[in-house]
Amino acid sequence: MKKIRVLIGILGLDQHDLGAVGISRMLRDAGMEVIYAGKFNLPPMIVKAGIEENVDLIGLSCHSWEYLYYLPEFIDLLKMQKLDIPVIVGGSVITPKDSKALIEMGVAAVFGPAATSAEIIECIQGLVAKK
Amino acid sequence: MANYTRSGIPLKSAYSPAHIKNFDYQKNLNSPGAFPYTRGRSANATGAWIQRELSGEGEPSRSNEQLKYLIEKGQMGVDVIGDSPTMALLDPDHPLALNTVGTQGVSLCCLQDYRELFRDLPLDRISVSSSVPPAFALAGLYLVAKECGFAPDKLRGSVLQAPFYAEDCGYAMHLPFSLRLRIACDCIEFCASKMPKFHAFVEDTYFFSETGLNAIEEMALGFIEIRHIARQLLQRGVDIDSFAPRIAILVNCSMDFFEEIAKIRATRRLFARMMKAEFGAQDPRSQAVVITSHTSGLSLTAQQPFNNIVRGAIQAASLAMAGVQAMEISAFDEAYRTPSPESHLVGLRTQQVVHLESNIAAVQDPLGGSYFIESLTDEMEKRMVDLIEDIESKGDPATLSEKGWFKKFFENSMHRYHQQIGSGELAKVGVNVHQIPDHEDTLLKEISEGKIEPYRERAEKIKQYKHNRDSIQIKAVLQDLQQSSKSENENILPAIITATKAGATMGEIAGVLRQAYDYPYDPHGLIESPV
Repeated sequence: MKKIRVLIGILGLDQHDLGAVGISRMLRDAGMEVIYAGKFNLPPMIVKAGIEENVDLIGLSCHSWEYLYYLPEFIDLLKMQKLDIPVIVGGSVITPKDSKALIEMGVAAVFGPAATSAEIIECIQGLVAKK
Repeated sequence: MANYTRSGIPLKSAYSPAHIKNFDYQKNLNSPGAFPYTRGRSANATGAWIQRELSGEGEPSRSNEQLKYLIEKGQMGVDVIGDSPTMALLDPDHPLALNTVGTQGVSLCCLQDYRELFRDLPLDRISVSSSVPPAFALAGLYLVAKECGFAPDKLRGSVLQAPFYAEDCGYAMHLPFSLRLRIACDCIEFCASKMPKFHAFVEDTYFFSETGLNAIEEMALGFIEIRHIARQLLQRGVDIDSFAPRIAILVNCSMDFFEEIAKIRATRRLFARMMKAEFGAQDPRSQAVVITSHTSGLSLTAQQPFNNIVRGAIQAASLAMAGVQAMEISAFDEAYRTPSPESHLVGLRTQQVVHLESNIAAVQDPLGGSYFIESLTDEMEKRMVDLIEDIESKGDPATLSEKGWFKKFFENSMHRYHQQIGSGELAKVGVNVHQIPDHEDTLLKEISEGKIEPYRERAEKIKQYKHNRDSIQIKAVLQDLQQSSKSENENILPAIITATKAGATMGEIAGVLRQAYDYPYDPHGLIESPV
């Protein structure tokens, strides 16, 4: 079976990267291939990397409120380029209310501070299988 | 209940004289205020510590209001943190800053900002601490104090030094290691002569231990950094007793009540012995380290935020028993946001209740002599020393830092922490035990989930400010700064102060320093250098 390719990145000046590093490790341990885009990205940079790396899914790690402003731009960019790459968002600062708004915007899944590894892995496998 | 401390020290069900067989009061404890200072820094502590809460949001004038509010509520000092651009040494008009100006701290980039931040603060009766990058916080405070007619040598307060680990733990400034270390040493040397009452050397073990380090790892890494910086200063010919009296350690405080107390006691003892034996410090104040503290944000939870108030109170009691010189409590809404006024007040009131009502701090080191505490203090100290030796045996700490060894260490500890929470090994009420459904979890939820809009108009304001300056003069001061930074023997701080006074911004100053060290002006490749 082909390995699932996931791009993990962080937007803006959000400096908390240990979550993203941890998630990357977790996904690799689960047999996925992770392209780590790291910190300090603007939405076009992540979209471009996602295309170039031909990924199955993009995961954004959010530990600052910046994501609230970057996500609409990010989703629009994907739609404009007619890209069928599911986006999942995870992070400690995402409240249940914001999570709902993200789903309405077109984000495939959102994981808050209580998410377990098993939930995240299962969700990614499901989303990629559905594509 | 775990029968290990959070650092993994096995615990007995009860302790007796058999567990402190080598107990030697004079040698290992002694009275508070006497070597090796295990029981406290000074002989006649009043029981009070500097009570403050970390603050900062929006533009400087907004933060000034916040500081006045906290002082009016009884805060005895201030501690200000910068927003994400400020902490990354970027001006608010940098393209990456747009959505985060003023949301996670105060936006500070030029002298006018510091004037507004400190406007009408009673510098004679409060200490001004800062979690903003140290050289810029110092330059701003120094210049504003002078303008107000307040002599810099009377200034009290502190800045944090974290040259080793900042880039690895959420405060990447894109400065090479050698420059970070130099700036730290320059600040300390500058203050030793110009601001002798100011703590220019606060070893900040708080922020990097928030990656999930245990108490032993926290202090071991702290000591490694303190020793390295102290050795650098001695090599420069700076006298140990000129700066060591103003060394402080900003420690974390997590939820293991007695272990945190033992950690602080062991730290004071280890520091005293290190200063005397290794560095030959003669001044008793050089041997007695100041302990300042911030309770762990990582120990708080997004779920059931009211539990965080209880956690803060327990941690405050633990710190008061350990005898700290200053305290900050992480706000109960910490998990989601920059503190609300309500959570600031709760933090401050927690400290005031512990101080004024509980009588906990009326007697120094109230747990001294306890079989358990003495046994735990000895064990903590032993394990700290072993870990310091173990890490230092892996190579020169500067090389380890540059090679990313510490970054890996932090990543591993975060991984371990999440596994401990996930498996339930580390109990977290509301997270892995005693959970409640979302619809029941409403108490204090609204406050905890409140947000601050980015101050986008600040970017425009700073652009305008830059445009209105005499560009030839700014270019000249930046070139001068770059020139003096190329000479390793020169203290860079006076040139930073001069450039700040002339109107240069933090982003510009940091950028030209990067260039002097063969780094790009803008680490993100989005803006051009003015020189």
